[in-house]
Order: sequence, then structure tokens, then C-alpha cells
Amino acid sequence: MEYRDYYKILGVVRTATAEDIKKSYRRLARKYHPDVSKEKDAEERFKEVQEAYEVLKDPEKRAAYDQLGSGWKSGQQFRPPPDWASGFEFSGGSRSAGAGGAHVFEEGGFSDFFSSLFGGGSPFGAAGRRQQGGRDHHARIDIDLEEAFGGGTRTLDLKRPEVKADGTLELRSHTVRVSIPAGVADGQLIRLAGQGEAVPGGGRAGDLYLEVHVRPHRLYQLDGRDIILTLPVAPWEAALGATVTVPTPGGAVEMQVPPGAQSGQKLRLRGRGLPGQPPGDAYVQLKVVLPPATAPEARTLYETMRTKLADFDPRAELNRR
Amino acid sequence: MTEIVHVHEVRLVGDADWIAVAEICRLCRLDLTAVIELADLGLVSLRGGSSEEWQLPAAALPRLALAGRLIRDLGVNVSGAVLAVELLEAQRELESLVRRLERLTGQ
Repeated sequence: MEYRDYYKILGVVRTATAEDIKKSYRRLARKYHPDVSKEKDAEERFKEVQEAYEVLKDPEKRAAYDQLGSGWKSGQQFRPPPDWASGFEFSGGSRSAGAGGAHVFEEGGFSDFFSSLFGGGSPFGAAGRRQQGGRDHHARIDIDLEEAFGGGTRTLDLKRPEVKADGTLELRSHTVRVSIPAGVADGQLIRLAGQGEAVPGGGRAGDLYLEVHVRPHRLYQLDGRDIILTLPVAPWEAALGATVTVPTPGGAVEMQVPPGAQSGQKLRLRGRGLPGQPPGDAYVQLKVVLPPATAPEARTLYETMRTKLADFDPRAELNRR
Repeated sequence: MTEIVHVHEVRLVGDADWIAVAEICRLCRLDLTAVIELADLGLVSLRGGSSEEWQLPAAALPRLALAGRLIRDLGVNVSGAVLAVELLEAQRELESLVRRLERLTGQ
């Protein structure tokens, strides 16, 4: 595993005060928070910043981290010393990293480096435990656009943290079979009653919430329930109009290209997006594709057009004052 | 150890669902006081007579979860979180509108 320089991540010196650390964390959290940031890799950077702050804001963890010394560099291969953490007592539960294709999040996401130093104590901390029922768990499920459109059944392997009787944390594999309803949209929640945290002694188990993420598609882009497709057309189809076959998630449909259509023009197929109340639309963006001018016949045609359509100026807009 | 659980009953959390306020607090990692304050400021609406019976519409979950993250991660107070949530939502609506207009005008 790689060493993480928490001071460097927060942009503070090793002698920084608690107030300096807090200020720097606030500034970087504002910059990289995934809800407000448009920075590339914002989520990854935010997690690093959060992890660094989790250690440096806590005097016990910071003192333990400082014991490693200042000779390490970020990215350097690291293994905790054999006598690591002797003499330290960390109060409160630390977070644990999630694992697996669909993983429990919210509580997790810290690095192996963090876990190796501060352990995998209960991410749910004693204070957060429910008195009568289990906690709800969250996981993410990645689905294809076809599944979003038509629904389907998926088997998910989840790594679920469970607190053992001695208070330590155990990651248990847990397989659930989920029916994905047709028309589920990106970001929507699916609730599986009773599939969250189990409660020893027969208390009500929590629920499992799956947040749906639709994978990017080869042909279609999604915007809510609307889909967007780029459709290549021949110049004569755009110029003269044509009936063309358009693929949609629900099957191919015939579409009229109006005469005089231009490259980039968008046509709407009402109700051909994802199902729902109301269903989304499909937007077809035309892309005029020119035949190559390699064959003699094609060259002759292009030369005829140049002669016969000499008044046509595709850059007239650019030259207008 | 792997246990196989066959789940037959799955449903989408939709606009018609209401969720108990205690459950909302757990889901959004907010305490009850913050949820009440967020409701007082108009971010969400509560229904029910006593605090044990209070419920919130499931549709409010993303707003509250966002408010919770902003409060925890950025240290903003409840009023600031409400303002930020409303501004972020307005920004997303405008961005979506721009995309729709671009589609309709073929740009």
C-alpha cells in the first residue's frame, strides 16, 4: 500500500495548529465537494481531503500518525511498523472501506493506508446504533441503459459490515437478487425492505437502498428520461428528405427527415425515451456524412455541384458584418 | 461466508411514499433538530401530529441528504445549507433547460 502525506493533502505544515487544519479542510472541502464542485476528479480529491482531516483533526490519531516520522513521501510503499499503535488508544469508531462491485457507501471510502493505521472498527459507532431496529444500508448499482428501459433481474454481491458481539467489525458477503423495475432513472433509489442491518434477537432489520447509476451507452446519452442519439445521414437524405430507420431502446422506428435538414439538427421522437409517467422522449441529432470523393463518379458529382451550386457559401455567416 | 437471499419484493421509492422522520434522520445522517429546522425554513414539509408520527415525502430525500452532506462536510449552518440546496437546484434546472433548448434549436 502507498503512504499518504495527510499534511501535504491538506496543504499545511506539520506544525500547523488545529485551527489552521480546520481552515484548510474547509477551503479544500468547498473546492472539491462532489455536490458543488465541477473540478475533474472532485470526488476522489474530496475523499483524500476528508481522510486527511479525519486523522489530523483528532489529536490522538494525529499523534499516532506523526510517530511514523516525516521521512515518508506520498505514494511511497508503506507497511505499518510491527509495534504500531502500541500505547495509543483511539476513541470513537473509525470508518471502514467498502468493497465489492456494489458496496456500502456513505460511511466508507477511506484508503487501505488509513485502515492499516487506524483499524476497521465499527463504522456505525455506538452512538449511531438503533435501539429497536437495524440501520438502513446504502449501496450503488450500475446498470445498462437496456436494463433501465426494460427492467431485469440482477444478482448483487454486497460486502456488508456487521458488528460482532465483541464490538469488532466483520465484512460479510451477502448476495441479493434484485428485480429492476422498467423505467428506473439514473440516480433513483430502489428500496429492499429488511435487507439492511440485521438485528440479533429478532429486531426489525433495516432496509437496503440501492442508488441506480446507468452506465454510459455506445449509442445513447441520457438526460433524465430523455435519450439522445446521433444519427448519420447521407447528404441527399438531409437535402431531399427521407424516411430512415432509427434505433431506440424500445426497438427500431421509422422517422421522417424533413427536406433541407442540416447536420446538428435535432428531431424528437415523442415518448421513445425511458418509460415513466410521462415517458421520456428520444432526440435524434442528425450528422451529415459525406461519401468519400475517391471514386471517379463521386468526384464528378462533387465537381458538378461545385459548378452548378457556385452561389452556395457555407461560411456566409462568418463573413457577415 | 456467503448467504443467498432471494428478494422478491422490490419497489422504487416514488413521489407517493412517505418516510418516518426517524428513518429520514438515519438515511440523511441528520439529527431531528436539524430536520425540523430545515422544515421550518421550507426545504421540506412534514406531516403528522406528534414528533413520533412525523413523516416526510420520499421525494424530499435527495434534498435532505444533500443538506446533510453540506452541513457535515462544509460546516455550513442550517440556513446556509437551505440556501445552497436551493441555489444548486436552480443551477441544475437552468443547466437542464439550456440542454433542452440546445436540443430543440439543433445547436
